Amino acid sequence: MPAKELESPCVDCGDAEFVVDVRSRRLCKWELRQLLIWDPTSHRPCYERYVSLKVLRRIENYRRPKSVPKGQPYKLLLPLSFGLSSSVMLHAMNAQLERQLSKPYPMVGFELHVLVIEPSSISPSSASAEQRFGLLQKNFPRHSYKMLPFHSIYEYEPTVQDIMTQFAGEGFVDDGSLSHKERLDAFRASITTATAKADVDQILLNRLVVSYAKELNCDAILWGDSDSRLAAKTLANVAKGRGSALTWQVSDGKSPSGLEFNFPLRDLFQAELHSYANLIPELMAIIIPDEPPLENTLTKNLSIDELMMRYVQTHGEKYPGVMANVTRTANKLQPAAVSAGARRCAFCDAFMRDSEEQSEFCYACARSRPDSAC
Amino acid sequence: MPPSLCANCETTRAVIIRPKNRQKLCKTCFLTIFETEVHETITSSSLFHRNERIAIGASGGKDSTVLASVMKTLNERYDYGLQLCLLSIDEGIKGYRDDSLETVKRNAVQYDMPLEIVGYGELYGWTMDQVVAQVGKKGNCTYCGVFRRQALDRGAARLGIKHVVTGHNADDVAETVMMNLLRGDLPRLSRGTSIVTDSGASDIKRSKPLKYAYEKEIVLYAHHKKLDYFSTECIYSPEAFRGSARTLIKDLEKIRPSSILDIVKSGEDMALLVPPEVNGGTKKPAAAAVAAEDDTPGGCGSQNGRSSGGEMAEMEKKLAEDDTAASRETEIQLPAAAPKKKTKNPDKSRTPKQVKAQSMGKCERCGYISSQKICKACSLLEGLNKNRPKTAIEVGVGMEDEESSSTLMRQMEQVQLTSG
Repeated sequence: MPAKELESPCVDCGDAEFVVDVRSRRLCKWELRQLLIWDPTSHRPCYERYVSLKVLRRIENYRRPKSVPKGQPYKLLLPLSFGLSSSVMLHAMNAQLERQLSKPYPMVGFELHVLVIEPSSISPSSASAEQRFGLLQKNFPRHSYKMLPFHSIYEYEPTVQDIMTQFAGEGFVDDGSLSHKERLDAFRASITTATAKADVDQILLNRLVVSYAKELNCDAILWGDSDSRLAAKTLANVAKGRGSALTWQVSDGKSPSGLEFNFPLRDLFQAELHSYANLIPELMAIIIPDEPPLENTLTKNLSIDELMMRYVQTHGEKYPGVMANVTRTANKLQPAAVSAGARRCAFCDAFMRDSEEQSEFCYACARSRPDSAC
Repeated sequence: MPPSLCANCETTRAVIIRPKNRQKLCKTCFLTIFETEVHETITSSSLFHRNERIAIGASGGKDSTVLASVMKTLNERYDYGLQLCLLSIDEGIKGYRDDSLETVKRNAVQYDMPLEIVGYGELYGWTMDQVVAQVGKKGNCTYCGVFRRQALDRGAARLGIKHVVTGHNADDVAETVMMNLLRGDLPRLSRGTSIVTDSGASDIKRSKPLKYAYEKEIVLYAHHKKLDYFSTECIYSPEAFRGSARTLIKDLEKIRPSSILDIVKSGEDMALLVPPEVNGGTKKPAAAAVAAEDDTPGGCGSQNGRSSGGEMAEMEKKLAEDDTAASRETEIQLPAAAPKKKTKNPDKSRTPKQVKAQSMGKCERCGYISSQKICKACSLLEGLNKNRPKTAIEVGVGMEDEESSSTLMRQMEQVQLTSG
């Protein structure tokens, strides 16, 4: 058969026109379907295979640490927001587990627990996730699932009430007779600026996830941040005075809570996750699409986190490598050696330096307090 | 609505809202508070000792003019016992530096301080205008930055002074932190925030007493104190990473004014987390970082976020190439018995001499301290001089009188370009 004249053939198979340019690799529609289902006979477009392989490779590299004795289960908590990244991560982890189980002598490396914090309890504009939650359990039945409302933090972290009262200062009176939901809403309403709101919400969500993980005796938490998210998080943390927290906020390693934090999607671009999710209809049914960014918001009304996300996205279009390199640079920082009795911030749990002012709250948390002058 | 009173003295009408924390203050209180904060920075890091001779790097711009004024005020008020003088660099940029130097000369009279001017022309045989004519508008900040650093040291040495203070403010330091993060430059991330930088083998140290002062407050101070300063910015374009970091910081300041100080704080904290092998072997705290002769390329910091983006695109290309190369990489494991000669990852190897700590020597040509055989300035000069004789002969200007004829030379070059 005479070879077809192709203008720009796929770099992998060379038999078809390329349809997608992934990191300067031009891939066709037909090479890679098998890798997703691990079936070499099926025909998947090259770019699909590339994308799924890329995601699965990252996850495949993710192994239980050698320090965990054989035979002992390695328990992972996967907090799922129904966003693109965490959903893709769940699918890929699930595929990894299936693959391990399909072997003649299955060696299962980990067990997965999924925690969903009810999106409608975080932002009233979100729809209830009941249906999605059901779908999740049906599609990935191997794992344990739990859905908690945001205000269940009062149950999992009983000390948080006092801390909140101190944190919010005079402008906020905690009314114990109210329901947990109303109390949390009142506290969140007492935080004034957009930056502080985002910061405080993030810290409380983290606390809830960590304490649930501890209750389950999990060894590690898998965070679904993609590389652009991590880059934005790095820059935002620096801008909020949380530079010293980078070693566990964006790097794999032990968090001050004693749990391992891991970011298996750290090398994946958002676009790659999109292409992956587009291949899998059952995944698309779960994912809540991101709200489009409000174009006309004044810069000064954004939160620092939003500003950084915007910065990374606009610059990431032209310079994805430079943005990815921000996180890689932050990953080179070494966690400070901390003594056993080191002080920790009552609110965000980060270690505090001795030189820091004699307050319960760290420098960065103090900035987010309502009575702070800024 | 009655006019609000000063939050500090509660008697006079407030006329200033502090950019740093939006506190309302009267003029006198603002000036005093600003000065006191600089004083606290100086005392808490024990910057000076009695009878020390200090050269103030003066450009005639707002930062260095405010620095000179505040240093004089504090020296008298708190009796530091310092001998102050002004040290200026003449980069040779027409329409920018020649005018600002006039300001510095007036300042010297106003503050009653001796003034020393060191010119790029006399030091290197090249003014910045000539450099730009040669290398173009892109990347010339590197030359300027490298040359200025040496020039300051040489000027100080000429005066027999061992300590130069510069007008770097909090915005500059925050910008440097962000820039080094974007550029992935860990060594500079670790030393960029320190208030004092010792320059290796040379015994001239640098410090930035205005490290915690906001740029906007410096402008306010200069305005209310009616200081005589020159407010035109450098006419040449900035480096892309710095430009990008600058825009980002301006946006951050709009959202949360404290974020400039917060970035400085993050920078100081991160400096402690930079692995010692990257740091040049010594894990020194942020108080005194060792800076080689190359501390911040393109760092004159007087640009406005206009940028060509060339450096970013270049780095992007390099990173993408590294990425593709990495996917072709095969890990080769040597037999355990054979001694490992080269390991890619210094962390994993046990051999001690993995990361070469920078050792400071002297430049073979000019004797300036350098980690290389030939210092950065000399190697830049070599590149410049390679192309020079041709141009010089064509224009017919000897090396001796080039200073006076730089304009002529540039004009002639332009003529050649257009006619050719």
